[in-house]
Amino acid sequence: MTTTKDRSQPLRVVIAEDSVILREGLGHLLQDRGFHVVAAVNDARGLEALVENHRPDLVVMDIRMPPTHTNEGLVAAIALRARQPDLRILVFSQYVETRYAAQLLAGDAAGLGYLLKDRVADVRDFIDALHRIVAGGTVLDPEVVSQLLGASRRTDSVDSLTPRERQVLQLMAEGRANAAISAKLHLSGGAVEKHVTNIFTKLDLAPSPDDHRRVLAVLRWLES
Amino acid sequence: MRQAEGMRLLTVFGERRTWGALGYAFIGFPLGVAGFVFAVAGLAVSAGLSVTLIGVPLLGFVVTAAGIIGAGYRRLGRSLLGVEVEKPTVRRRPGLVGYVSERNGWRALLFLLLRFPLAVVDFVVATAFTAYSLGGTSYPIWWHFVHQRVNGRERHGFQFVGNTFADTPLRVLAVFAVGVVLLLAAPWAVRVVTGADRLLIQNLLGPTKASRRIQTLEQTRTMAVDDAAAALRRIERDLHDGAQSRLVSLAMSLGLAKEELDGETSEETLTRLRALIDSAHREAKDTIVDLRDLARGIHPPALDRGLRDALATLAARAALPTTLQIDLPERPSAAVESIVYFCAAELLTNAAKHSGARRASVDIRGVNGHLLVRVGDDGAGGAELGRDGGTGLIGLTDRIATVDGRLTIDSPDGGPTLVTIDIPLA
Repeated sequence: MTTTKDRSQPLRVVIAEDSVILREGLGHLLQDRGFHVVAAVNDARGLEALVENHRPDLVVMDIRMPPTHTNEGLVAAIALRARQPDLRILVFSQYVETRYAAQLLAGDAAGLGYLLKDRVADVRDFIDALHRIVAGGTVLDPEVVSQLLGASRRTDSVDSLTPRERQVLQLMAEGRANAAISAKLHLSGGAVEKHVTNIFTKLDLAPSPDDHRRVLAVLRWLES
Repeated sequence: MRQAEGMRLLTVFGERRTWGALGYAFIGFPLGVAGFVFAVAGLAVSAGLSVTLIGVPLLGFVVTAAGIIGAGYRRLGRSLLGVEVEKPTVRRRPGLVGYVSERNGWRALLFLLLRFPLAVVDFVVATAFTAYSLGGTSYPIWWHFVHQRVNGRERHGFQFVGNTFADTPLRVLAVFAVGVVLLLAAPWAVRVVTGADRLLIQNLLGPTKASRRIQTLEQTRTMAVDDAAAALRRIERDLHDGAQSRLVSLAMSLGLAKEELDGETSEETLTRLRALIDSAHREAKDTIVDLRDLARGIHPPALDRGLRDALATLAARAALPTTLQIDLPERPSAAVESIVYFCAAELLTNAAKHSGARRASVDIRGVNGHLLVRVGDDGAGGAELGRDGGTGLIGLTDRIATVDGRLTIDSPDGGPTLVTIDIPLA
């Protein structure tokens, strides 16, 4: 677990989510796991002022919110980051749209996450992901990666990936470091490194040491 | 009443239509002759040249030009005769064949041919009535100035047969009287003869019944597609805000419970576990209710057994006490049943929400191949298409139009409200 912040000080979170059930459920969950929910609102209006006032460590926000129930959360997230580039944001949603992922991560992707709402069901993984984002990592839902893999026009290179390499790729996209990947897949550190190198070779990408940079590299490649 | 009819003899002179008809009769004559010459010459020349290369394109030109002349007549008819005729939709097949075979152009050509005899009649009637009525009514002024020498005698005025002249006061008065009668009759005469022109314009220059039908079908098809898309969007929203959110919350509770189980078991964890499972249980039940409501909103299961069952359930669930009368000899199509059901549901909801009614009624019967649905309430009335709750009513109107039905509202201020839906049964 990598956290830059002193654990004794609870992480301050702002939640923007229009479903009352989820807003409250998420609030309880985060409080329970040692976060401090400083504000929970039901739309993106006034979010900038809230962030200004509360200086949260993390904003967790839905994409579809009033008034139009389309992508106001995404627009707000991009605006927030433009004002405060080091703000950590998790955008979470009932669906993943690769377009949205690309828009969100178009600039600096450090400290950004995009997850399906379902992921809260695996509480530990979810909390983990939040901590990775706060630490400056990039977290992408595995669904985004599989959608991109499915839709990629570079089918030859994609097809050349072994199932194991695909698994590793997805975990990389979730922003996990090699150590975490090896733990998750029960592989040795050396084996994971080999897979990662293979992936980069097959996709013809320059290897990157930085965890979140390599997520981006893969994402951009898949999109092009 | 009688007095009003008498007045009409005079007021008709102030009517726009009278002078319009007169204008049309005069202007229409040279136009009619020119149009007739164009049509006959155009057809004859293109027929004659049909053996050469330019015959067919020329015919295409004649047909297209006739269509344009027809449009001019439509405008003339609108401003002078007050005939409101829609522009027909031009459906032209691609290529030269399209120009040659364009229906509306041919109908306009036929119009130009038939218009010719009418133009002559219009002109003769208009000229004759104008001349004789003006001449007759002004006879007392000018009869004295007309004179001729007959058998060495200076005679004045208008000569009847033989040697009779309209030169006695009584005879002058008689001519004047005839002039007055003709003058009073003139507007009607002109209007009667141009009435034939109105019919001709309506039947040959407007859209045909078939093309009007196609237009209606196109419009209602768009409505149906829009309606279906809106319904899908609504369902997606309901799922997103309802069942999906609840299931995420349920999964979250279960996820937390699972983690509690992973730790050590103590009295405290058991309490927390119970609370988590409690909320998961509640969320599961809420989700079931949500999904059931949603499914019923998509298609009420009772509708499979017919309107009677479905509406009985609806009436029983309605917020207002609702009486139900159904007299249907046979079952309408599934589409009509569904539309009737959802309209009734919407109207009952409206009645409960807006009108302050204490009871409502639904009456459905088949009459002469029509399905009549009457939904009434004893509320405050004032329901209108387009008024606050009105967008809903417009939505209903559109939906009903997809099966060629109509919705009428009778809702005076103070009530009661009666909404009638009339759907033809195929």
